[in-house]
Amino acid sequence: MTTFETDALASLDSLYRTALRLTHRSADAEDLVQDTYLKAFRAAGQFKAGTNLRAWLFTILHNTARNRARDRARDHVDIDSDAVERAADSNPDGQRAGATPESLLMRDTLAPELQAAIDALPIAFREAVWLRDVEEFSYAEIAEMLQVPAGTVMSRISRGRRILFDRLHHLRPAHV
Amino acid sequence: MSDCTSLDPLITPYVDGDIDAASRLRVDDHVRRCPPCQSRVAAERAVRELMRARRSDICSDAASAALRARCLALRAAAPGGAAELPSFWRSRIKPLAVAASVVLVAGGIFVYEATDRSTRVLAAELTADHVKCFGVVNTLLGTNPDAAVIEGAMAKTFGWAMHVPESSQGGLELVGARPCLYGKGKAAHLMYRHHGQPLSVFMLPQLARPGKTEERIDIMGHEAAVWSEGGRTFVLIAREPEAEVARAVTIVQAALR
Repeated sequence: MTTFETDALASLDSLYRTALRLTHRSADAEDLVQDTYLKAFRAAGQFKAGTNLRAWLFTILHNTARNRARDRARDHVDIDSDAVERAADSNPDGQRAGATPESLLMRDTLAPELQAAIDALPIAFREAVWLRDVEEFSYAEIAEMLQVPAGTVMSRISRGRRILFDRLHHLRPAHV
Repeated sequence: MSDCTSLDPLITPYVDGDIDAASRLRVDDHVRRCPPCQSRVAAERAVRELMRARRSDICSDAASAALRARCLALRAAAPGGAAELPSFWRSRIKPLAVAASVVLVAGGIFVYEATDRSTRVLAAELTADHVKCFGVVNTLLGTNPDAAVIEGAMAKTFGWAMHVPESSQGGLELVGARPCLYGKGKAAHLMYRHHGQPLSVFMLPQLARPGKTEERIDIMGHEAAVWSEGGRTFVLIAREPEAEVARAVTIVQAALR
Protein backbone atom coordinates (compact mmCIF):
# COMPACT_ATOMS: atom_id res chain seq x y z
CA MET A 1 0.00 0.00 0.00
CA THR A 2 1.33 3.45 -0.81
CA THR A 3 1.67 6.16 1.81
CA PHE A 4 -1.10 8.06 0.10
CA GLU A 5 -3.50 5.15 0.45
CA THR A 6 -2.53 4.44 4.04
CA ASP A 7 -2.94 8.09 4.99
CA ALA A 8 -6.23 8.34 3.15
CA LEU A 9 -7.66 5.29 4.88
CA ALA A 10 -6.65 6.71 8.26
CA SER A 11 -9.50 9.21 7.84
CA LEU A 12 -12.09 6.48 7.34
CA ASP A 13 -13.74 6.75 10.76
CA SER A 14 -14.05 10.52 10.74
CA LEU A 15 -15.34 10.53 7.15
CA TYR A 16 -17.91 7.93 8.10
CA ARG A 17 -19.05 9.89 11.16
CA THR A 18 -19.37 13.04 9.11
CA ALA A 19 -21.27 11.17 6.40
CA LEU A 20 -23.56 9.83 9.09
CA ARG A 21 -24.29 13.37 10.25
CA LEU A 22 -25.11 14.31 6.65
CA THR A 23 -27.30 11.36 5.76
CA HIS A 24 -28.64 10.13 9.13
CA ARG A 25 -28.57 6.55 7.79
CA SER A 26 -25.68 4.17 8.11
CA ALA A 27 -26.31 2.52 4.74
CA ASP A 28 -26.29 5.90 2.97
CA ALA A 29 -23.26 7.01 4.96
CA GLU A 30 -21.33 3.88 3.98
CA ASP A 31 -22.29 4.40 0.38
CA LEU A 32 -21.10 7.98 0.48
CA VAL A 33 -17.78 7.06 2.07
CA GLN A 34 -17.19 4.28 -0.43
CA ASP A 35 -17.86 6.67 -3.27
CA THR A 36 -15.51 9.20 -1.70
CA TYR A 37 -12.65 6.71 -1.60
CA LEU A 38 -13.33 5.54 -5.12
CA LYS A 39 -13.02 9.11 -6.35
CA ALA A 40 -10.05 9.89 -4.13
CA PHE A 41 -8.05 6.87 -5.27
CA ARG A 42 -8.87 7.57 -8.85
CA ALA A 43 -7.91 11.24 -8.52
CA ALA A 44 -4.83 10.52 -6.41
CA GLY A 45 -2.65 12.17 -9.03
CA GLN A 46 -4.46 15.47 -8.54
CA PHE A 47 -3.70 15.62 -4.85
CA LYS A 48 -0.92 18.10 -4.14
CA ALA A 49 1.58 16.52 -1.79
CA GLY A 50 2.18 18.61 1.29
CA THR A 51 -1.38 19.93 1.42
CA ASN A 52 -3.95 18.64 3.85
CA LEU A 53 -5.06 15.20 2.69
CA ARG A 54 -7.79 14.97 5.29
CA ALA A 55 -9.33 18.28 4.17
CA TRP A 56 -9.08 17.10 0.56
CA LEU A 57 -11.01 13.93 1.38
CA PHE A 58 -13.66 15.89 3.23
CA THR A 59 -14.03 18.16 0.22
CA ILE A 60 -14.64 15.12 -1.99
CA LEU A 61 -17.13 13.76 0.53
CA HIS A 62 -19.14 16.97 0.55
CA ASN A 63 -18.98 17.40 -3.22
CA THR A 64 -20.24 13.86 -3.63
CA ALA A 65 -23.05 14.41 -1.16
CA ARG A 66 -24.06 17.60 -2.95
CA ASN A 67 -24.06 15.98 -6.37
CA ARG A 68 -26.15 13.12 -5.12
CA ALA A 69 -28.71 15.39 -3.61
CA ARG A 70 -28.87 17.23 -6.91
CA ASP A 71 -29.12 14.03 -8.96
CA ARG A 72 -31.95 12.73 -6.89
CA ALA A 73 -33.66 16.10 -7.30
CA ARG A 74 -35.22 15.57 -3.96
CA ASP A 75 -36.93 18.23 -1.95
CA HIS A 76 -33.74 19.42 -0.61
CA VAL A 77 -32.94 22.78 0.83
CA ASP A 78 -30.65 24.82 -1.34
CA ILE A 79 -27.98 25.47 1.18
CA ASP A 80 -26.92 28.65 -0.58
CA SER A 81 -30.36 30.18 -0.42
CA ASP A 82 -31.30 33.07 1.77
CA ALA A 83 -34.12 30.98 3.15
CA VAL A 84 -31.72 28.89 5.16
CA GLU A 85 -30.01 31.92 6.55
CA ARG A 86 -33.34 33.46 7.48
CA ALA A 87 -34.51 30.29 9.17
CA ALA A 88 -31.99 30.84 11.92
CA ASP A 89 -33.11 34.39 12.46
CA SER A 90 -36.48 33.12 13.55
CA ASN A 91 -34.64 31.65 16.52
CA PRO A 92 -33.59 34.76 18.34
CA ASP A 93 -31.11 34.21 21.10
CA GLY A 94 -30.48 37.27 23.18
CA GLN A 95 -32.39 37.82 26.36
CA ARG A 96 -32.55 34.21 27.47
CA ALA A 97 -29.15 33.13 26.41
CA GLY A 98 -27.19 35.13 28.91
CA ALA A 99 -29.21 33.71 31.75
CA THR A 100 -27.56 30.29 31.59
CA PRO A 101 -23.94 30.16 32.57
CA GLU A 102 -21.98 28.05 30.18
CA SER A 103 -20.73 25.94 33.03
CA LEU A 104 -24.29 24.68 33.59
CA LEU A 105 -24.74 23.73 29.97
CA MET A 106 -21.41 22.00 30.04
CA ARG A 107 -22.18 20.07 33.16
CA ASP A 108 -25.75 19.10 32.37
CA THR A 109 -25.79 18.17 28.72
CA LEU A 110 -25.18 14.52 28.02
CA ALA A 111 -23.68 13.23 24.81
CA PRO A 112 -26.92 11.64 23.50
CA GLU A 113 -28.80 14.92 23.95
CA LEU A 114 -26.06 16.81 22.21
CA GLN A 115 -25.98 14.27 19.41
CA ALA A 116 -29.74 14.49 18.92
CA ALA A 117 -29.64 18.28 18.89
CA ILE A 118 -26.86 18.28 16.29
CA ASP A 119 -28.78 15.84 14.11
CA ALA A 120 -31.87 18.05 14.32
CA LEU A 121 -30.05 21.11 12.98
CA PRO A 122 -30.79 22.20 9.42
CA ILE A 123 -28.08 20.66 7.30
CA ALA A 124 -26.32 23.91 6.39
CA PHE A 125 -25.68 24.67 10.05
CA ARG A 126 -25.09 21.07 11.04
CA GLU A 127 -22.24 20.53 8.61
CA ALA A 128 -20.60 23.89 9.40
CA VAL A 129 -20.68 23.37 13.17
CA TRP A 130 -19.60 19.76 12.89
CA LEU A 131 -16.64 20.50 10.64
CA ARG A 132 -15.49 23.30 12.91
CA ASP A 133 -16.13 22.05 16.44
CA VAL A 134 -15.69 18.32 16.01
CA GLU A 135 -13.40 17.88 13.03
CA GLU A 136 -11.61 21.17 13.75
CA PHE A 137 -11.12 22.40 10.23
CA SER A 138 -10.28 26.04 9.52
CA TYR A 139 -12.85 28.45 8.10
CA ALA A 140 -11.00 28.41 4.78
CA GLU A 141 -10.98 24.62 4.61
CA ILE A 142 -14.68 24.44 5.40
CA ALA A 143 -15.42 27.12 2.80
CA GLU A 144 -13.67 24.94 0.22
CA MET A 145 -15.64 21.86 1.26
CA LEU A 146 -19.02 23.55 1.28
CA GLN A 147 -18.33 25.78 -1.72
CA VAL A 148 -19.39 28.95 0.07
CA PRO A 149 -17.45 32.07 1.09
CA ALA A 150 -15.58 32.00 4.42
CA GLY A 151 -17.91 34.71 5.77
CA THR A 152 -20.89 32.45 5.17
CA VAL A 153 -19.10 29.60 6.93
CA MET A 154 -18.62 31.78 10.00
CA SER A 155 -22.22 32.93 10.08
CA ARG A 156 -23.46 29.36 9.74
CA ILE A 157 -21.21 28.21 12.56
CA SER A 158 -22.46 31.07 14.67
CA ARG A 159 -26.12 30.45 13.97
CA GLY A 160 -25.78 26.72 14.31
CA ARG A 161 -24.18 27.10 17.72
CA ARG A 162 -26.88 29.49 18.87
CA ILE A 163 -29.66 27.16 17.76
CA LEU A 164 -27.94 24.34 19.62
CA PHE A 165 -27.58 26.50 22.68
CA ASP A 166 -31.27 27.40 22.65
CA ARG A 167 -32.39 23.83 22.25
CA LEU A 168 -30.08 22.39 24.86
CA HIS A 169 -30.83 25.22 27.22
CA HIS A 170 -34.53 24.45 27.00
CA LEU A 171 -33.92 20.83 27.85
CA ARG A 172 -32.73 21.85 31.28
CA PRO A 173 -35.75 21.70 33.64
CA ALA A 174 -34.10 24.08 36.07
CA HIS A 175 -34.05 26.84 33.48
CA VAL A 176 -37.45 26.46 31.80
CA MET B 1 -26.33 49.05 17.39
CA SER B 2 -24.13 50.04 14.50
CA ASP B 3 -21.22 48.63 16.53
CA CYS B 4 -23.07 45.31 16.78
CA THR B 5 -23.56 45.25 13.02
CA SER B 6 -20.01 46.11 12.16
CA LEU B 7 -18.55 43.72 14.74
CA ASP B 8 -20.94 40.90 13.91
CA PRO B 9 -18.55 39.10 11.53
CA LEU B 10 -15.86 39.15 14.22
CA ILE B 11 -17.84 37.46 16.98
CA THR B 12 -17.37 33.87 15.85
CA PRO B 13 -13.65 34.25 15.12
CA TYR B 14 -13.42 35.93 18.52
CA VAL B 15 -15.04 32.92 20.20
CA ASP B 16 -12.76 30.60 18.26
CA GLY B 17 -9.67 32.65 19.12
CA ASP B 18 -9.05 32.97 15.41
CA ILE B 19 -8.66 36.75 15.32
CA ASP B 20 -5.87 39.35 15.33
CA ALA B 21 -5.01 41.20 18.52
CA ALA B 22 -6.44 44.58 17.48
CA SER B 23 -9.81 43.11 16.52
CA ARG B 24 -9.90 41.09 19.71
CA LEU B 25 -9.54 44.26 21.76
CA ARG B 26 -12.34 45.93 19.82
CA VAL B 27 -14.68 43.00 20.46
CA ASP B 28 -13.61 42.77 24.11
CA ASP B 29 -14.45 46.40 24.57
CA HIS B 30 -17.80 46.18 22.81
CA VAL B 31 -18.95 42.97 24.49
CA ARG B 32 -18.37 44.46 27.92
CA ARG B 33 -20.85 47.22 27.15
CA CYS B 34 -23.38 45.25 25.07
CA PRO B 35 -25.47 42.56 26.84
CA PRO B 36 -26.93 41.01 23.65
CA CYS B 37 -23.49 40.51 22.16
CA GLN B 38 -22.25 39.25 25.49
CA SER B 39 -25.04 36.65 25.48
CA ARG B 40 -24.16 35.64 21.99
CA VAL B 41 -20.53 35.16 22.88
CA ALA B 42 -21.48 33.16 25.96
CA ALA B 43 -23.85 30.94 24.00
CA GLU B 44 -21.40 30.26 21.18
CA ARG B 45 -18.60 29.63 23.62
CA ALA B 46 -20.72 27.28 25.73
CA VAL B 47 -21.61 25.16 22.71
CA ARG B 48 -18.07 25.20 21.41
CA GLU B 49 -16.73 24.01 24.76
CA LEU B 50 -19.50 21.46 25.10
CA MET B 51 -18.73 19.96 21.69
CA ARG B 52 -15.08 19.68 22.56
CA ALA B 53 -15.81 18.22 25.98
CA ARG B 54 -18.12 15.56 24.54
CA ARG B 55 -16.19 14.92 21.38
CA SER B 56 -15.05 11.42 22.21
CA ASP B 57 -18.64 10.44 23.05
CA ILE B 58 -20.25 11.90 19.95
CA CYS B 59 -17.49 10.41 17.84
CA SER B 60 -18.13 6.86 18.98
CA ASP B 61 -19.53 5.79 15.61
CA ALA B 62 -16.83 3.94 13.74
CA ALA B 63 -16.75 2.58 10.24
CA SER B 64 -17.66 -1.10 10.15
CA ALA B 65 -15.10 -3.74 9.27
CA ALA B 66 -17.05 -4.43 6.11
CA LEU B 67 -16.89 -0.82 5.00
CA ARG B 68 -13.17 -0.76 5.74
CA ALA B 69 -12.67 -3.85 3.64
CA ARG B 70 -14.65 -2.39 0.77
CA CYS B 71 -12.71 0.87 0.83
CA LEU B 72 -9.48 -1.08 0.99
CA ALA B 73 -10.56 -3.02 -2.08
CA LEU B 74 -11.20 0.23 -3.93
CA ARG B 75 -7.47 0.90 -3.99
CA ALA B 76 -7.51 -1.21 -7.13
CA ALA B 77 -9.24 1.73 -8.78
CA ALA B 78 -6.33 3.98 -7.92
CA PRO B 79 -3.81 5.04 -10.53
CA GLY B 80 -4.95 6.37 -13.86
CA GLY B 81 -8.28 4.60 -13.70
CA ALA B 82 -10.35 4.28 -16.82
CA ALA B 83 -13.74 5.78 -17.39
CA GLU B 84 -15.99 6.57 -14.47
CA LEU B 85 -18.07 3.76 -13.10
CA PRO B 86 -21.72 4.64 -13.55
CA SER B 87 -22.90 5.89 -10.22
CA PHE B 88 -26.17 4.04 -10.67
CA TRP B 89 -24.52 0.83 -9.52
CA ARG B 90 -24.56 1.78 -5.93
CA SER B 91 -28.23 2.60 -5.90
CA ARG B 92 -29.31 -0.20 -8.21
CA ILE B 93 -27.77 -3.16 -6.45
CA LYS B 94 -30.38 -3.73 -3.81
CA PRO B 95 -33.20 -4.17 -6.35
CA LEU B 96 -30.95 -6.67 -8.13
CA ALA B 97 -30.68 -8.69 -4.95
CA VAL B 98 -34.45 -8.58 -4.58
CA ALA B 99 -34.83 -9.82 -8.12
CA ALA B 100 -32.39 -12.62 -7.41
CA SER B 101 -34.49 -13.90 -4.54
CA VAL B 102 -37.46 -13.93 -6.87
CA VAL B 103 -35.54 -16.14 -9.23
CA LEU B 104 -34.81 -18.57 -6.43
CA VAL B 105 -38.48 -18.84 -5.63
CA ALA B 106 -39.83 -18.91 -9.16
CA GLY B 107 -37.10 -20.74 -11.02
CA GLY B 108 -37.04 -24.48 -11.50
CA ILE B 109 -34.30 -26.78 -10.32
CA PHE B 110 -31.10 -25.83 -11.98
CA VAL B 111 -28.72 -28.53 -12.99
CA TYR B 112 -25.31 -27.73 -14.25
CA GLU B 113 -22.10 -29.63 -14.78
CA ALA B 114 -19.23 -28.27 -12.77
CA THR B 115 -16.30 -28.28 -15.09
CA ASP B 116 -13.88 -25.66 -16.32
CA ARG B 117 -15.47 -25.93 -19.67
CA SER B 118 -18.96 -25.42 -18.33
CA THR B 119 -18.43 -21.91 -17.04
CA ARG B 120 -17.25 -20.94 -20.45
CA VAL B 121 -20.30 -22.54 -21.98
CA LEU B 122 -22.50 -20.72 -19.49
CA ALA B 123 -20.85 -17.42 -20.40
CA ALA B 124 -21.23 -18.12 -24.11
CA GLU B 125 -24.88 -19.02 -23.80
CA LEU B 126 -25.69 -16.03 -21.69
CA THR B 127 -23.74 -13.76 -24.01
CA ALA B 128 -25.92 -15.07 -26.81
CA ASP B 129 -28.95 -14.30 -24.67
CA HIS B 130 -27.54 -10.87 -23.98
CA VAL B 131 -27.27 -10.11 -27.68
CA LYS B 132 -30.58 -11.77 -28.51
CA CYS B 133 -32.58 -10.10 -25.76
CA PHE B 134 -31.31 -6.68 -26.73
CA GLY B 135 -32.32 -7.40 -30.32
CA VAL B 136 -35.82 -8.44 -29.23
CA VAL B 137 -36.16 -5.44 -27.00
CA ASN B 138 -35.08 -3.11 -29.78
CA THR B 139 -37.68 -4.42 -32.17
CA LEU B 140 -40.56 -4.96 -29.82
CA LEU B 141 -40.27 -2.54 -26.99
CA GLY B 142 -38.04 0.30 -28.10
CA THR B 143 -35.84 1.78 -25.44
CA ASN B 144 -36.36 3.45 -22.12
CA PRO B 145 -39.66 1.83 -21.22
CA ASP B 146 -41.50 2.49 -18.03
CA ALA B 147 -40.37 0.25 -15.17
CA ALA B 148 -43.99 -0.31 -14.20
CA VAL B 149 -44.77 -1.56 -17.71
CA ILE B 150 -41.95 -4.08 -17.50
CA GLU B 151 -43.05 -5.19 -14.06
CA GLY B 152 -46.57 -5.68 -15.38
CA ALA B 153 -45.31 -7.70 -18.34
CA MET B 154 -43.18 -9.91 -16.11
CA ALA B 155 -46.11 -10.59 -13.81
CA LYS B 156 -48.56 -11.24 -16.62
CA THR B 157 -46.35 -13.42 -18.78
CA PHE B 158 -44.39 -15.36 -16.20
CA GLY B 159 -46.19 -14.81 -12.94
CA TRP B 160 -43.13 -13.16 -11.47
CA ALA B 161 -43.63 -10.29 -9.08
CA MET B 162 -40.40 -8.43 -9.52
CA HIS B 163 -39.13 -5.01 -8.66
CA VAL B 164 -37.39 -3.41 -11.62
CA PRO B 165 -34.98 -0.53 -11.01
CA GLU B 166 -35.80 2.55 -13.01
CA SER B 167 -33.57 4.46 -15.37
CA SER B 168 -31.09 6.74 -13.73
CA GLN B 169 -29.93 10.12 -14.87
CA GLY B 170 -26.31 9.01 -14.70
CA GLY B 171 -26.05 7.97 -18.33
CA LEU B 172 -27.83 4.69 -17.76
CA GLU B 173 -31.13 3.59 -19.17
CA LEU B 174 -33.18 0.65 -18.10
CA VAL B 175 -33.98 -1.19 -21.29
CA GLY B 176 -35.84 -4.18 -20.06
CA ALA B 177 -35.96 -7.12 -17.73
CA ARG B 178 -37.08 -10.61 -18.61
CA PRO B 179 -36.83 -14.11 -17.36
CA CYS B 180 -34.72 -16.10 -19.81
CA LEU B 181 -35.13 -19.82 -19.98
CA TYR B 182 -31.87 -21.44 -19.21
CA GLY B 183 -30.99 -25.06 -18.72
CA LYS B 184 -33.81 -26.56 -16.74
CA GLY B 185 -34.65 -23.35 -14.99
CA LYS B 186 -34.93 -19.65 -15.50
CA ALA B 187 -32.55 -16.80 -15.17
CA ALA B 188 -33.53 -13.22 -14.45
CA HIS B 189 -32.06 -10.90 -17.01
CA LEU B 190 -31.81 -7.18 -16.33
CA MET B 191 -30.85 -5.14 -19.35
CA TYR B 192 -29.31 -1.72 -19.23
CA ARG B 193 -27.77 0.67 -21.66
CA HIS B 194 -24.74 2.51 -20.41
CA HIS B 195 -23.86 5.44 -22.68
CA GLY B 196 -25.52 3.52 -25.45
CA GLN B 197 -23.72 0.22 -24.75
CA PRO B 198 -25.79 -2.79 -23.73
CA LEU B 199 -24.96 -4.23 -20.32
CA SER B 200 -26.62 -7.27 -18.76
CA VAL B 201 -26.77 -8.75 -15.31
CA PHE B 202 -28.05 -12.33 -15.14
CA MET B 203 -28.99 -13.90 -11.85
CA LEU B 204 -29.32 -17.64 -11.46
CA PRO B 205 -29.72 -20.10 -8.64
CA GLN B 206 -26.24 -21.01 -7.47
CA LEU B 207 -24.30 -23.19 -9.84
CA ALA B 208 -21.90 -25.79 -8.56
CA ARG B 209 -18.55 -24.15 -9.20
CA PRO B 210 -16.23 -25.73 -6.64
CA GLY B 211 -13.12 -23.75 -5.77
CA LYS B 212 -14.05 -20.94 -8.07
CA THR B 213 -14.22 -17.45 -6.68
CA GLU B 214 -14.59 -15.30 -9.73
CA GLU B 215 -13.94 -15.94 -13.37
CA ARG B 216 -13.44 -13.46 -16.11
CA ILE B 217 -14.16 -14.72 -19.59
CA ASP B 218 -13.48 -13.02 -22.86
CA ILE B 219 -16.17 -14.40 -25.08
CA MET B 220 -17.61 -13.48 -28.44
CA GLY B 221 -16.20 -9.99 -28.27
CA HIS B 222 -17.75 -9.48 -24.85
CA GLU B 223 -16.35 -9.45 -21.36
CA ALA B 224 -18.19 -11.72 -18.93
CA ALA B 225 -17.68 -11.97 -15.20
CA VAL B 226 -19.05 -14.96 -13.33
CA TRP B 227 -19.17 -15.34 -9.59
CA SER B 228 -21.25 -17.05 -6.93
CA GLU B 229 -22.35 -15.52 -3.72
CA GLY B 230 -25.12 -15.93 -1.18
CA GLY B 231 -26.54 -19.00 -2.90
CA ARG B 232 -26.71 -17.30 -6.27
CA THR B 233 -24.60 -17.11 -9.36
CA PHE B 234 -24.19 -13.79 -11.11
CA VAL B 235 -23.05 -13.16 -14.64
CA LEU B 236 -22.32 -9.63 -15.78
CA ILE B 237 -21.83 -9.14 -19.50
CA ALA B 238 -20.87 -6.07 -21.46
CA ARG B 239 -18.94 -5.13 -24.51
CA GLU B 240 -16.78 -2.79 -22.52
CA PRO B 241 -13.09 -2.60 -21.64
CA GLU B 242 -11.96 -5.16 -19.10
CA ALA B 243 -11.10 -2.46 -16.56
CA GLU B 244 -14.61 -1.08 -16.76
CA VAL B 245 -16.19 -4.48 -16.27
CA ALA B 246 -13.79 -5.26 -13.43
CA ARG B 247 -14.76 -2.10 -11.66
CA ALA B 248 -18.46 -2.78 -12.09
CA VAL B 249 -18.02 -6.28 -10.72
CA THR B 250 -16.09 -5.02 -7.69
CA ILE B 251 -18.85 -2.62 -6.80
CA VAL B 252 -21.64 -5.11 -7.43
CA GLN B 253 -19.97 -7.71 -5.23
CA ALA B 254 -19.24 -5.22 -2.49
CA ALA B 255 -22.79 -3.95 -2.49
CA LEU B 256 -24.27 -7.43 -2.37
CA ARG B 257 -22.29 -8.40 0.69
